[in-house]
Amino acid sequence: MSRDTLTFAVILSLIDFFLSMAMITGIGLILRLLPLLNRLGALDEESMRRGH
Amino acid sequence: MLLDQTMKFFGALGAQTGVADLWWGNVVMIAVGIGMILLAVIKKYEPLLLVGIGFSCIVSNVPGSNLILEGGLFDYAYKGVELLILPPLIFFGVGAMTDFGPMIANPGLVILGAAAHLGIFVALIGAKLLGFTIYQSGAIGIIGGADGPMAIFMSVKLAPELLPQISVAAYSYMALMPLIQPPVMRLLTSKQERMIRMKQLRTVSRVERIAFPIVIGIIVNLLLPPVAPLITMLMLGNLFKEVLVTERLAKTAANEVMNMVIVLLTVAIGSTMQADKFLTGSTIEVVVLGLIAFLFGTGSGVIGAKILNLFLKEKINPLLGSAGIASVPIAAHVAHNVALEDDPDNFLIYHAMGPNLAGVFGTALSGGIMLALLQ
Repeated sequence: MSRDTLTFAVILSLIDFFLSMAMITGIGLILRLLPLLNRLGALDEESMRRGH
Repeated sequence: MLLDQTMKFFGALGAQTGVADLWWGNVVMIAVGIGMILLAVIKKYEPLLLVGIGFSCIVSNVPGSNLILEGGLFDYAYKGVELLILPPLIFFGVGAMTDFGPMIANPGLVILGAAAHLGIFVALIGAKLLGFTIYQSGAIGIIGGADGPMAIFMSVKLAPELLPQISVAAYSYMALMPLIQPPVMRLLTSKQERMIRMKQLRTVSRVERIAFPIVIGIIVNLLLPPVAPLITMLMLGNLFKEVLVTERLAKTAANEVMNMVIVLLTVAIGSTMQADKFLTGSTIEVVVLGLIAFLFGTGSGVIGAKILNLFLKEKINPLLGSAGIASVPIAAHVAHNVALEDDPDNFLIYHAMGPNLAGVFGTALSGGIMLALLQ
């Protein structure tokens, strides 16, 4: 299919819109897992600020 | 004979100036440049951008100016854009001054960062209907993402001949968001919906704040290499900020680097606004399509939030959907201010920053997928 057509523009738009929704939802799911890292323990922010 | 010689002398002097090449288009663009500077100084509209763009627009429309010719100073500044060095450096500075806490604290709202980008595709299809090529249409569409560096990035990749129109449209509409968005937001929401109060967000730990840029850096480079330079530098800047042990680097990125890059970027953009390239019918079309993109993006974000509410027990304020447009933090401030009109104690700003920041990723994802499909 030639790319420089209205039909291609519509198909591109549909794929892009829904795929970006799916990917950002995936990022959201990964962000939901981030709190699990807190089980590794907390960081001493005071010493981090002092040590540079 | 003496008169003859004198006339020849003045003729030669005049020929090497630009006076003979001045035409009405130059005068119009010089007036546009002056207008930009006045808007910046008097109305305080985006002064950091408009002063540089306005001045280099003026100088670039003075015939005979060597600055825009190959080897000229403005030409070198443009090479920073052309070689895609400056846009990622802007994101580097932005990352170093951004708190992604609201986005990390409420990951359920990140989908609004994609929902608010329907405008990109409405503008893309509109541009195709107007006769632009698919590449030009893609570059024009990204104006709807309300992300200046991303608009420049996509324009350089897909349609460098439209860079002046696209960058001016993108940055102008970003500055005008407080005027453009509220009518759409009020039209699509009821007073009751606008008064919905959000629960306080949880505190995000330092470990999460440090892990975030590393995880996102890996994901973007793995899945979307075309836009990896922008998001990677955004994450690097953010990492410098969040690890706390590189405070001086974060401060440099957010201040000195950012300021230098803004000077070069604005001079580069203004230098492309030459009359013969800018004063064309396609400029008006790009400007109109950009407005359509913003309007539809605002609307789709609000409607996206209302659709999300169908599945949520605790409803979210649908104004947060309009913040899914990437212009950080302007869109979040607009959502906050519109909510305050109906309830002076309803402070949405921190909640609105979540979808607003997600919008940056939404624009990058849309652009990256577009590049992958078109190149």
